[in-house]
Amino acid sequence: MEYLGTIGILIAIYIILAASYNLVIGYGGLATVAHPIFFAIGAYVSGLLAIHTTLPPPVSVLVGSGCAMLASLLLAASALRVSGDYLLIASLGFQLGLLQLIKNLAFTGGPGGLGGIPATIVGPSRTPVYLAIAVVLAIATVFAIRALVRGPYGRAITAMRDEELAFSALGRNAMSMKLVIFAIGCGIAGIAGGIYTFYFQYISPDQFEVLQSAAILTMVVLGGMGTAFGPVVGAVLLLAIPQAITFLQLPPSIMAPMQGIIFTLLVLVFLFLRPAGILGDTGRRRRSAGLT
Amino acid sequence: MSHVLRTEGLNKRFGGIVVCDDVNLTIAGGEILGLIGPNGAGKTSLFNLISGVLRPDSGTIRLNGKAVNGEPLYRRARLGVARTWQHMLLFRSMTVMENMLVAPRHYPGESILRVTVGRAGVRSAERTARERAHAILDRMALDGTADMPVTDLPFGQQKLIGLARALMNDGPLLLLDEPMAGVEGAAYETMQRVVRQEAESGRAICVVEHNVSFIRDLCSRAVFMINGRILQDGPVEELISSTTLTELYFGA
Amino acid sequence: MLDPIILAQILWTGIATSSPYVLLTAGFALTLKVTGLWNFAQAGLMAIAFYTMFFSLNVLAWPVPVAIGVALVLTGAVALAMEVWGLQVLRARKSGNLTFFIFTLILSEFVIYVITLVFGTEPQTLFKSILSPVAIIGNIAVSDWDKLAVVTAAAGLAALWLFMTRTREGQFLVAVSDNAKLAELYGISAQRAYRVVAVVAALFIVAAMYLVGSHGGIVPNSPMELVLTAVIATLLGGIGRVFAAAAAAVVLALIQSFSILVIASRWQNLLLYGFLFAAILLFPRGVRLPRLRLAMRR
Ligand SMILES: Nc1ncnc2c1ncn2[C@@H]1O[C@H](COP(=O)(O)OP(=O)(O)OP(=O)(O)O)[C@@H](O)[C@H]1O
Ligand SMILES: [Mg+2]
Repeated sequence: MEYLGTIGILIAIYIILAASYNLVIGYGGLATVAHPIFFAIGAYVSGLLAIHTTLPPPVSVLVGSGCAMLASLLLAASALRVSGDYLLIASLGFQLGLLQLIKNLAFTGGPGGLGGIPATIVGPSRTPVYLAIAVVLAIATVFAIRALVRGPYGRAITAMRDEELAFSALGRNAMSMKLVIFAIGCGIAGIAGGIYTFYFQYISPDQFEVLQSAAILTMVVLGGMGTAFGPVVGAVLLLAIPQAITFLQLPPSIMAPMQGIIFTLLVLVFLFLRPAGILGDTGRRRRSAGLT
Repeated sequence: MSHVLRTEGLNKRFGGIVVCDDVNLTIAGGEILGLIGPNGAGKTSLFNLISGVLRPDSGTIRLNGKAVNGEPLYRRARLGVARTWQHMLLFRSMTVMENMLVAPRHYPGESILRVTVGRAGVRSAERTARERAHAILDRMALDGTADMPVTDLPFGQQKLIGLARALMNDGPLLLLDEPMAGVEGAAYETMQRVVRQEAESGRAICVVEHNVSFIRDLCSRAVFMINGRILQDGPVEELISSTTLTELYFGA
Repeated sequence: MLDPIILAQILWTGIATSSPYVLLTAGFALTLKVTGLWNFAQAGLMAIAFYTMFFSLNVLAWPVPVAIGVALVLTGAVALAMEVWGLQVLRARKSGNLTFFIFTLILSEFVIYVITLVFGTEPQTLFKSILSPVAIIGNIAVSDWDKLAVVTAAAGLAALWLFMTRTREGQFLVAVSDNAKLAELYGISAQRAYRVVAVVAALFIVAAMYLVGSHGGIVPNSPMELVLTAVIATLLGGIGRVFAAAAAAVVLALIQSFSILVIASRWQNLLLYGFLFAAILLFPRGVRLPRLRLAMRR
């Protein structure tokens, strides 16, 4: 039960991550790979606050999310000034650089990771309570984003992606919209990081590497980029498939690459055969950025 | 007379290409100015300078007397510069109505704060915008197309939607870049009628057009541009009958 | 006091160590220049090149030239296949940058996973011993590997320069990189140029991986870090400037080497990323020389 609860929490956290990432790249059309680093910022900041201060956990999580937002604004503001394409490579550098910093600083625990994060909730109800929190937040995230992109805001985002020049010439401030979308998406990733930290009580820099970027990206691509529920489908599938192979009882040295091969093959197959993803609309007037 | 638009000594070059060479241009409210010249003369570039897509190398652009050089593209639109595009640039994945609805000068829907906490205000602004959009489409006999995807419309009607979208901006200046290219029949008539009506309502309008009869029918004054320079500025008939200009236009 | 001999030693070793990076960066930057693509799939090619040589030498016990030849053929073939059945398809579909990025990165990871499955995650070297005979030349220790590395990198760059400036094929590459559409109008096939670039990059990759693999241990994931070094050097050198990027790779390696004198070694990697940060946030269009001086004084 405990085990299933933990898997449930992990799935909920990844739904939050994938959904917020989808807001940024699927709806916003902002090509970034650095989502895991904002997850990491949320995780580290709230973890450090939990260790060194007596702030209530929700406040720590919010501060972590705020820091993720600020960092994302710093990145987006400087990269988007150059061009939208440049963001991709800048985000990659940003992620690697910040990870390197985390690995080399003493107070973040270095490459060994940050442990000893106090258990806020103790006793047998711990996992169910966290599961409830995570699931509620995941549902809230997915539906809040859905509501956002359905209304006038979503219309503006679609127009911006379709024809940015005409959009701006109508009086719309495209740059500030991009920054806001980026900051919201990354702030949500920061919240996911906070929940992760408080439940697992241990984080390590390896969890936020480029591999993780690929994993979240895969969830979004697989489920359907720019669809409300695609990231949910993607996250559930991608976390469930490895669980399924565990029944094969392979040794870990074979299991890990096998899972990797399955992930990457799935992405490659989808990329060429069904770029819109499982839930994506393949019609010619797709409203989502999708992968073309 | 007070001018809606006034450019003073506007210059712009791309490397060796001069697209705007000491351009002094004025347009008054209610006036339809024709802007003619051969391909590559710099007509679209001039529109880009006025609307803020491009920054001039030197010179001043005044809107109702106020210099707007420092204002970015989106702010000039809010100040009342409405324009259409040679290549339409419609939002291709959206319906006609959706194209119209993102176009008002002030659109609360682009602010995350207002769509989350100021919802009543957004709703009422949407209602107003929708009514305005219907009124404009009605005038162009396009009301039936409101919920159709723009890409499903024939070319002439798409051109009209480009104009309709620009008209959602109720500002004092309207720039039309080749509105008639590829437009025939009923759409032609509509375009002509609507542009005239807009001028009658007091807007300052500038039209780039290769279709000479369209210019003759609508404008009293026109300017001839070549290599970024305004060669002549005066009554349309004079410009059209000038043999030098005709040679420059069709020769070279 | 700093001993000039020590400084000279650091300088030489730094240059030698940077040689494989120079080759990798040249291949990477050339691909970016001509195809406009940040080709992360080169990490996969690096892995293929190294493990092909490793397998040929250590399992099949083939002689070195044969191993290198096989690696050249295989890496070149994979690079071409990727171009023809991957990138070309995406280009025809008018794919966005993100799609190319995903494709190249995921392809690399796929290759790396397959190699992990086959070879495991133990560090491997091409030869049993990575100690290379050392000669003392004017008080400076110069190993055979150092000499091979520097000569290979210099020869590689010189050949590339000659190719780009003196051969028609190379000038076609330049034309395509300047303006692919215009080049097509003049009858230059962009597709052909892309294929040529793929093969040239594969050549550079094999040479570099031979050097890297005969100098230290490689794990399946190492190529990812190698390709990132190439990315950093390319960013610092300025996108579209192949030889500046290669020079940036040398400068980066030298800065890292000399930093031993002033900062703890565990910060060295960080230094690399510090430069990456600076490049991204301050010099997004590459570092021009006067600016570089300014940055170092600070
Ligand atoms: N962003 C730009 N960069 C470089 N050159 C440009 C740019 N925009 C326009 N030009 C060049 O400036 C010149 C004028 O272009 P412009 O589009 O203003 O002409 P035009 O009068 O509108 O012509 P047409 O009747 O064909 O629409 C052309 O030679 C064009 O190639
Ligand atoms: Mg034009």
